[in-house]
Amino acid sequence: MLDVKDISKSFYRKEALKDVSIHVNKGEIFGLLGPNGAGKTTLIRIINRIVEQDSGVIRFNGDLMTEKNLLEIGYLPEERGLYRSMTVEAHAIFLGRLKGLSKHDVKTKIDYWFDRFGINEWRKKRIEELSKGMAQKVQFICTILHEPKLLILDEPFSGFDPVNVELIKQTLIEMRADGRTIILSTHNMKSVEEICDRAALINNAVKVAEGRVSTLQEERKMGLYSVRFRGSMIAFVNALWTGFEVVDKDILGDDRFVVRLRMRNESSFEDLLKVLIGQVQIEAAWEVLPSMQDVFMDLVKPREEVSDAE
Amino acid sequence: MREFKERIGTRSFVLFSLLGPILVLAVIYLLFTMGGSHKQEWKVLVSDSKGILENRIMLDEDVSIQYDFVDAVLEIEDFRDGKRYQKYDAMLDVNEKVISNKTAFVFYRNEPSVRMQTMVKYQYERRLEEIMVEETSNLSIKDYLKIKQPLNVSFKNVYDPNDEASDLRGWVGFTYGTMIFAFIFLFGMTILRSVSKEKSSRIVEVVLASVKPNQMLTGKLIGIGLSAFIQFFIWIVVIGLGLYLMRETLFPDMLDPANMSAANLSVGDESYQERYFTVKEYNEFVNLIYERIQFFAQTGYFIMFFLAGYMFYGALFAAVGATMGSESDGQQFIIPLIFLLCFALFAGYNFMNNPESDLSAVLHYLPFTSPVVVMVKLAQGYEPGHAYELWLAFIILLISSFIMLAIASRLYKNGILQFGHRLRLRHMLKWLRKT
Repeated sequence: MLDVKDISKSFYRKEALKDVSIHVNKGEIFGLLGPNGAGKTTLIRIINRIVEQDSGVIRFNGDLMTEKNLLEIGYLPEERGLYRSMTVEAHAIFLGRLKGLSKHDVKTKIDYWFDRFGINEWRKKRIEELSKGMAQKVQFICTILHEPKLLILDEPFSGFDPVNVELIKQTLIEMRADGRTIILSTHNMKSVEEICDRAALINNAVKVAEGRVSTLQEERKMGLYSVRFRGSMIAFVNALWTGFEVVDKDILGDDRFVVRLRMRNESSFEDLLKVLIGQVQIEAAWEVLPSMQDVFMDLVKPREEVSDAE
Repeated sequence: MREFKERIGTRSFVLFSLLGPILVLAVIYLLFTMGGSHKQEWKVLVSDSKGILENRIMLDEDVSIQYDFVDAVLEIEDFRDGKRYQKYDAMLDVNEKVISNKTAFVFYRNEPSVRMQTMVKYQYERRLEEIMVEETSNLSIKDYLKIKQPLNVSFKNVYDPNDEASDLRGWVGFTYGTMIFAFIFLFGMTILRSVSKEKSSRIVEVVLASVKPNQMLTGKLIGIGLSAFIQFFIWIVVIGLGLYLMRETLFPDMLDPANMSAANLSVGDESYQERYFTVKEYNEFVNLIYERIQFFAQTGYFIMFFLAGYMFYGALFAAVGATMGSESDGQQFIIPLIFLLCFALFAGYNFMNNPESDLSAVLHYLPFTSPVVVMVKLAQGYEPGHAYELWLAFIILLISSFIMLAIASRLYKNGILQFGHRLRLRHMLKWLRKT
């Protein structure tokens, strides 16, 4: 769907992107991750042709991207705003028409999406009368109004309450099922785990990783396993022989515990289960994959300014 | 288009479109009526203890002033408080030495209009002259007035004996030029505010994902320009219509030649002199409004220079708006812009006074000042065969506005997505160099 190849861009002496390439497949949700100032927004602006790259090419559906392709893209910038004195409906019509919708189409789509997001009664309200969350909803609808083939969202969840975050997530998942492609730039790692198929991480103007979310997690797993059981902690520790090492434990109460352990020597998951059966009542046991948060922290570790990453 | 609709739709636009010209009409109406009517009536008691005036001031009765005579010395307090004198508006004190010392006093209750003061003074003076002429010479009053009639000396340009390029016409041009600049400034500020608002509300990035910065800039200029032009057009139509209606209904006799010249006022008419001046001044204004201004020709050129000048300054305003870091940042840049506009107005004024100077020639072609200077020059009239000067100035302005547009769109493109910085000249230079 979108092929970004060797994009470089510098602003005067500062390099914002250095030979960055990413590949986004059709019908997937692609997470674009990275600490603040890594170059994500610049890359997004280049894709939207707002900023021109110094070198590199972008292909859209296999062809070099042109001005025309912009009509097939929906873009929600991180720093977003609306014309405050316009009404909600007039604004949606304006942005819809800018994206090439006919007058008739724009009306139909507005009816559908306003209904879907339950904002029909705001139609005639001026943007300045809306709360921040309401305005964000309007912005999101304006972005997807023309049902773009490629949707680029920069921090779409910021400013929304949990109910609306869920609503947006569901909409994105439905759009993916509909064959649309979504690029999601966010610091919200939980949502990356939940809805992203693939992700790329940019740090210091360079792409440091790209791949399936589960693969990225797999690659950084530390051989940790968790066991949740009911019984005596002493019996549990006694049952383990030298093949396992307890890393930490959580006491859940009612004689229930969660213990994380690491394998030693050649021990396997099956070995672990075998030694425990009969000693404690096992409720669950699983291999611990690092969260995307951990993956993120691991990848950007050399940099110190990671405090903004959630 | 969005800009256009948003401007047209506002209540203030409609108000300003209609009230503005009506206000102008009202001012013109006031100027007309002030020149035409004199309605105050006065009752004057003449205290003439020596009977110098022989109980008479005027040959004919003047309707607006009625004189009564009393041949006794009347103290001010008596006049002020005496019951029988309450019906009089003023007391004219004729002292016995008035013929020699030429000093007189009028005590009034309510301050009279300047016109009334002039009339009383005039009538009293004429009566005294009459008496003096009778006493000291053999002339008839008519002969005396003929001798006394003031000499009107008109200074005329030998190349322009009909006074076509009069100062007044220069003022008309200057007014046109001022209007151009008033509108440019008004809508230039609208552009600046609109750009900086888009910037600070961050909507600009969404829009830029669909259109190029150049398109956005041009759209903004056209949208706001069109609304400016429509507003302006409404002004012209309403003022034109208003002037026409006024001429047809309120002042039908205004262009009647009988009212225009002082020649038909008889010399013996007591208020001759006073009316002579009034009529002369009054008619110059009426004449100027209805006869001398070539509204159509001037309006045509006006539109040309208005559009080009608007494009020139509009692009400048947009560029400043786009390069601002925050809305308040723009305030400091407004001052030099106002200064620039004031300079243009000064140029027009300077041209009116020294049309032949070298500086004027430069200002005539300088795109910053040419819209107003050309308007003045146009009103004064180009010398035959020099019409090319107008077109040259126009072409220079047009080319400059395209250059300004190119500069502005470069600044716009590079500046519009920069936020939160302090605007410095070196930023602008940097953005200018960047392609």
